[in-house]
Amino acid sequence: MQYVVEQALNALSIGAEYSLLALGLAIVFSIMGLVNFAHGEMIGVGGYIMYAMTLFGMGELWMILPVCLLTVVITAVVLERVAFRPVRQAPATTGLLTAFGVSIILQNVFLLGVSPRPKTVPAVSVLNTTVDIGSYTFTILQFLEAGVTAIAIVLLVIFMKRTKVGLAMRAAAYDFTTVRLMGMRANRVIATAFAISGFLAGIAAIFFIARRGAIDPFMGLVPVLKAFVACVLGGFGSLPGAVVGGLVLGILEVVLIIVLPDVMAGMRDAAVFFIVGAILVWRPQGLLGKKTELGDKTA
Amino acid sequence: MLEVDSISVNYGPVRAVHSVSLTVEEGEIVALLGPNGAGKTSLLSAIIGLVPVAEGTISFQGQNINRLDTESRVERGLSVTPEGRHIFANLTVEENLILGAASRRDKDGIARDLETYLDMFPILRERYTQSGGSLSGGEQQMLAVVRSLMSGPKLLMLDEPSLGLAPRIVDQIFKLISGLRDRGLTILVVEQNAQEALKFADRAYILSTGNLEFSGTAEELRTSADLMKAYIGEGVA
Amino acid sequence: MSAPALDRAPGRRRLWHIDGARTLRSLRGGMIIAVFAVTFGLLIMLFGEPYQVRLAVAAYVNLIIVIGLQIFMGNSNVANLSHSGFVGVGAYITAIFAAPAMIKQTLIPNAPWGIDEVQLGVVAAFIVAVGITGLVALLTGLVLVRLSGIAATILTLAILVIFHGIFVNWVDLFRGTQAFYGIPKVAGIKTMLVATAVVIVIARLFKDSRIGVQLRASATNMLAAEAMGVNIRALRLIAWVLGGMVCGVAGSLYAYYIGTVNARAFFFHAAFLTLSMHILGGMRSVTGAVIGVALISVTMELVRLAESGPVILGVQMPELLGLSGLMLGVIIVLVMCLRPDGLMGGLELDEVIRRYVKRGRN
Ligand SMILES: Nc1ncnc2c1ncn2[C@@H]1O[C@H](COP(=O)(O)OP(=O)(O)O)[C@@H](O)[C@H]1O
Ligand SMILES: [Mg+2]
Repeated sequence: MQYVVEQALNALSIGAEYSLLALGLAIVFSIMGLVNFAHGEMIGVGGYIMYAMTLFGMGELWMILPVCLLTVVITAVVLERVAFRPVRQAPATTGLLTAFGVSIILQNVFLLGVSPRPKTVPAVSVLNTTVDIGSYTFTILQFLEAGVTAIAIVLLVIFMKRTKVGLAMRAAAYDFTTVRLMGMRANRVIATAFAISGFLAGIAAIFFIARRGAIDPFMGLVPVLKAFVACVLGGFGSLPGAVVGGLVLGILEVVLIIVLPDVMAGMRDAAVFFIVGAILVWRPQGLLGKKTELGDKTA
Repeated sequence: MLEVDSISVNYGPVRAVHSVSLTVEEGEIVALLGPNGAGKTSLLSAIIGLVPVAEGTISFQGQNINRLDTESRVERGLSVTPEGRHIFANLTVEENLILGAASRRDKDGIARDLETYLDMFPILRERYTQSGGSLSGGEQQMLAVVRSLMSGPKLLMLDEPSLGLAPRIVDQIFKLISGLRDRGLTILVVEQNAQEALKFADRAYILSTGNLEFSGTAEELRTSADLMKAYIGEGVA
Repeated sequence: MSAPALDRAPGRRRLWHIDGARTLRSLRGGMIIAVFAVTFGLLIMLFGEPYQVRLAVAAYVNLIIVIGLQIFMGNSNVANLSHSGFVGVGAYITAIFAAPAMIKQTLIPNAPWGIDEVQLGVVAAFIVAVGITGLVALLTGLVLVRLSGIAATILTLAILVIFHGIFVNWVDLFRGTQAFYGIPKVAGIKTMLVATAVVIVIARLFKDSRIGVQLRASATNMLAAEAMGVNIRALRLIAWVLGGMVCGVAGSLYAYYIGTVNARAFFFHAAFLTLSMHILGGMRSVTGAVIGVALISVTMELVRLAESGPVILGVQMPELLGLSGLMLGVIIVLVMCLRPDGLMGGLELDEVIRRYVKRGRN
């Protein structure tokens, strides 16, 4: 029983991380059809700014967390302006390849500017301390991941339902041209989408780094691949789908950890991607995705 | 109010609109007629700035608006109700209408207009919290018109508002449109349904394969069977 | 392309129909590109320093890979990232069959099916490697062609991760993260040049073949092509398998040149490098592949010099690790923003020459 409860919270908190990242991918994709492969590098951006602050003696948690979020948001918005706006009208493949390029640039900026070797951000790792509740053992981080993600999702829903830009974002996922006919600025809608995706990625960055304890230039790759998987599971471009996909992925991973023998532990990622391939073929629109909601942007 | 001076529209190598000029004076209802593929939608798209013009100028209230983007044109008081309605099916009626006023900042004005139009179109009040996709075709058309009105336009351009609607509904829609004129609105209406449109239009233009074929009063066109036959086709006159 | 061409191709038999004059023109075009591509290598072979020859060989391996990429991506317009995985299959299968049994008994003593005791000749192992790569491509292709657009691209990503996972985790067969060595080093620059010329001609013939033409037509207008009875899935599958086999060739020759194989060489880094070469030259052009590989290979080498902290005018420059990667990313983004069709657009060398000649005459 104890094992089950602990693993359940583990699955939930890992899934929450993936949901945060997947949501950012899905928001941008639903609005402008861009598969933003560079999204994973937002974790690196957050990580290295926190590392830099630590280096300059400003490594207190209350200082680095807001700066991390802010930096990631700004980076996301700037990238949209510089790299993705020129390819906005282009076919989806052009956007995807641009995103690959951006991703490679960021990785190598970290490499060039800091070091190929892993670095630590001690203040964040503190979040990963364990606590005992009765006979159960958890980490503070697990509660934070589950809790903060839940709050972020609620705030996002409110934003999307109550603000004009939020409405426009939902409408744009359906029909962007008509949103412009309403006099709603396309640039504003897209910049907001990137800002939100950056904000969610900033939160995810803090969690990822706390969990792993170290940062390195290529740390964004695996998380963004997982986020893709989550999006595919839930149906690409669907926001509820991204959340559900992330949670399903978290559960799947924990289950694979439990059922796969240790010798095959390395096959976990391959197994996950295999399942994703199967789902793509069996239900290209994902588990939750409805064709209409996607606006057929994937096809 | 609107002066379109010999504009052309190209889609790649294809020219959809050939050097067309037209004007709309304040308070008028002008009909833009012509068969399918004549370039009517392309002309409206050029006026609102969704497609670039290859040549010619567009002026609104005496100012050249060629270089403005769509959003700025809407802010200046132009509005298009697109062909096929393009309701945001995943948003509620209320949300569709709020988004219609996206270019405005006067909260009180928006609330006032919303009340007025919901009184004019009570069916929308009934469907207020339903999703746009759940509405019938006629209801969606009304929603599309009101959504355009929510931006507080000076010139409303309607692209085939009767498309795909039952005759009874068409009557109703056109009645509502002529009602809008009494509220001081200027209207440019694109129609294939010439007969209906000419009933309430002041002037009319006929477009055919991208060229302007006729311009004159609605009266002239209505009373001349020959003209109707020549430009709009058989069976309608 | 031309609607009548699609119109007259309802049956499978028609798919393979050969038009003599057109084929000849395409063959000639392919040979012109091949000569163009091979010339540099010949010059380096004859006059170059050993390290230049080494660089040239690496460039030609990449060129074969990019040609393999072009066969699928250039004709179907679906971005592919799994090609490095197929290179890996070709390389590993070559290693498994060509390495001496003695070495294998220490490297992979627990290999399944007693494969560690099998040893084939160099040519036989090459054929088996390319054949198995083709088979693997067929299996993955059957799944892949069911998807289109971004979904297909994500699936190729999944394929790459799965392949890598298998290489790294099937230790009994692939040695995991450790290098697989002992492969006879029988391939040199000559082999690379011959292979390059052959795959270039194949790629060009494929592009101009009925299959290639229909595939490209369907990429621009899928609905129209389907309405005319073109079986897009079959066309894509053919391109996918052929492209995969060319990548397998590259992998096999790479193994024969370098003598050791390591899974790291077949993952994202390699995939991005070759992909950016492909993009820069222009995806729809075989000539573009040559130009993209040449430009990026040279640029990367120059940047790598700077990266290692050279002494310029007696001043020791700092190490700049990551500069080459940075350049690669910048190239991709710039090409996508400024010239998404790549340097060549859809044009081939012989077509450019013909245009030029025509203009000269007028
Ligand atoms: N986005 C487009 N791309 C290419 N051609 C178009 C596009 N939109 C319209 N056309 C062409 O332009 C011409 C005019 O179309 P349109 O303006 O929609 O006519 P109408 O609204 O009068 O039916 C048609 O021949 C149509 O095929
Ligand atoms: Mg039209």
